[in-house]
Amino acid sequence: MQPISAEQREKAFAGSKKAEVIERQRLPVRYHVEDFQVEDRPRRFLEAFAAILKHTNYRVALDHYIRISAKCARCSVACQVYEATGDAHDVPCYRSELLLSVYRRHFTMSGVLRGRLLGDPGLTDEKVQEMAASYYDCTACRRCHFECPMGVDHALITHLSRYILSEIGIAPRALVVSTREQLIGKSGNTSAVPVPALLDSLEFLSEEMKEQLGIDIPFPVDQEGAEYLFLPAVSDYIMEADTLMGNAAVFRATGDSWTIGTGYFDGINYGLFYSDQVLEHVLEKIRAEAGRLKVKKLLMGECGHASRVAKYFYPAFCGGRSAIPVLNIMEYTHQAWKQGRLKLKAGTITETVTYHDPCNIARPGWIVQQPRELLKAFCSNFVEMTPNGRNNICCGGGSGTVSIDEIRPYRTTVGGRAKAEQIRATGAKYCVAPCANCKKQLRELVEDNQIDCQIVGLHDLLYKAIIFD
Amino acid sequence: MDFWIQFGRGPLFALAFSLMVLGLARIVLLTLVGIVEAYRKSWDRIVNWKEVRRQTFHWLFPVGRLWRSRPVYSTLSMLFHVGLLLVPLFAAAHVLLWRRSVGFAWKAMPQTPTDVLTIIVLVAGTGLLLGRATSAAARSISRPQEYFWPVLLLIPFATGFACSHAALSAKTYQALMLLHVYAAALILVLIPFTKIAHCVLTPLSQIVTAVAWKFPPGAGDRVAATLGYADCPSWLPKARLTKAGHVPAPATGSTTTARQEIPLAKQEVTAQ
Repeated sequence: MQPISAEQREKAFAGSKKAEVIERQRLPVRYHVEDFQVEDRPRRFLEAFAAILKHTNYRVALDHYIRISAKCARCSVACQVYEATGDAHDVPCYRSELLLSVYRRHFTMSGVLRGRLLGDPGLTDEKVQEMAASYYDCTACRRCHFECPMGVDHALITHLSRYILSEIGIAPRALVVSTREQLIGKSGNTSAVPVPALLDSLEFLSEEMKEQLGIDIPFPVDQEGAEYLFLPAVSDYIMEADTLMGNAAVFRATGDSWTIGTGYFDGINYGLFYSDQVLEHVLEKIRAEAGRLKVKKLLMGECGHASRVAKYFYPAFCGGRSAIPVLNIMEYTHQAWKQGRLKLKAGTITETVTYHDPCNIARPGWIVQQPRELLKAFCSNFVEMTPNGRNNICCGGGSGTVSIDEIRPYRTTVGGRAKAEQIRATGAKYCVAPCANCKKQLRELVEDNQIDCQIVGLHDLLYKAIIFD
Repeated sequence: MDFWIQFGRGPLFALAFSLMVLGLARIVLLTLVGIVEAYRKSWDRIVNWKEVRRQTFHWLFPVGRLWRSRPVYSTLSMLFHVGLLLVPLFAAAHVLLWRRSVGFAWKAMPQTPTDVLTIIVLVAGTGLLLGRATSAAARSISRPQEYFWPVLLLIPFATGFACSHAALSAKTYQALMLLHVYAAALILVLIPFTKIAHCVLTPLSQIVTAVAWKFPPGAGDRVAATLGYADCPSWLPKARLTKAGHVPAPATGSTTTARQEIPLAKQEVTAQ
């Protein structure tokens, strides 16, 4: 595929930020950042880096990567951002080297000695600025990890770099503001949904389903001792009514006990995208709610990063092997369908349907086949994108960049270009994207690229196919 | 010159080889210790061993994966590696030297396969160098050592090939052999300190990455505390400013600030 044209490039890289802001913050990045201390950033960066190395596990990986990285450039072929821009600065290995070179220069004996001998000044403010821009161009989809013969995980480097940057005040305002509301705000969730509004919308959804199907499908709230605590991305309560109705309908069909907790009902965890501290504090909120309601399992909604965080980080912060199990709603639905507790009407959807794998749940090989088997059970015309499954291409809005509205032209022109072509090639009427993040990005993508395709969640379609006893 | 060749084959080789073994043992040990430490620090002891094993073996024997990206380069690279491992270990002259010096050795490879493999290494190595130089993506991430290594590695192969064929080295045998022996010694010494260390580190890559994603509980809070922001986490950047008694300065032309003007984050707190 050829890189984007000059015209597209201009559109994608046009910043919406005022020049005076960029100058004041000395930060030529496309996303908005809250004002913070600008002076002496390199030294503060190194301090934060040192503190992080001291308390976390990144050191073993950095040591390994600086020894092993062979610079073969195979990762360039796996990166949808590089494919679109053709800019050497977007090669994953180049991006990682930005941080690895700082590590080598300032945190290894040979680097420090060589720096002294050659009079190398070390980290400069320009380099901090370059990192601030570069690490938010990467969508941390981890596709390049599969192509690295040396096993370097560039997404780990992206995560770490963003963490360090956030400790010196450089993080997208969109993420910081949401996190602040979630952790210390009045509503306690990223979309600032108050509990009464939540209850209202649940009631409305129940009425809606009663009207459509003629049966009572409740949304149990604060049920102590329920089997599952349901945690979708909180934005689903506002934007994804169909998905939620599908979720509730599945439980109505299986008869299992589940609950939504009014104490905490948000699965979103932006910590994965920029801060380990946020990651842990949000998971603690989930643990507290799970403890309050004495649930036996966590059930994550259709959201890639929320599911990955809960599945792979909940044990790390909330009790190790004794932590309660985490399931994704698609896993649950698939199990119920396999066990015959959920019946789906074959051929309910006759239009062409395709499936987009959210990176966070597909890349580890966790949820790949389950949704496909479900879709094939009730869609008569299911087509695959190529590549798909574990080797899928990112929607282009991964790692929280989808929440940054000011970079939409970039996301839909550069980050999502490969995905847009994939969707177009399938000619599908519906593209199933079981992830709040992917859904938003893909909707903007098909709109900006004039593709006639409707982006839906898995349970949106499944809802129509459930046979109630 | 004979003396220097003998010296290179004997004591110098022994020294270079020992340094390589010790150097590689050191980094393997350091990595293993790092893995265990990281694993112990986190509460999360759940490692997907099946996945780690699968990825590790796939990359040790990458035949099925080559075609996914940069296929020509990747195939050349694999052929290059095969020759690189087999020829030095199984060339008849090397096995003979080994037997003479330590009293035991393994079965040597016949001359024809050795020659074929050597030619493969020479061709593939040159191809890799050209592949790197002609690809914009590869060029952008290449350090000087990326160009230096293939050239250095090809020297012993080219000279070794010439030396094992009298017709090619009738008059220059000694000079070529000298180059062969000393280049090889240099390679051995450099291995543990450069990217060639991947010869022993590759099998550990997947597990290193797996444990690095295991975050220790409380680390985020401890990082903030170390930086002097125990009660001002990063999602409250404004509070951090107030705490330091610092307001963002208006834009000025200067990009450097004298070091003493802004105290260390830690000192800011203790000073208050």
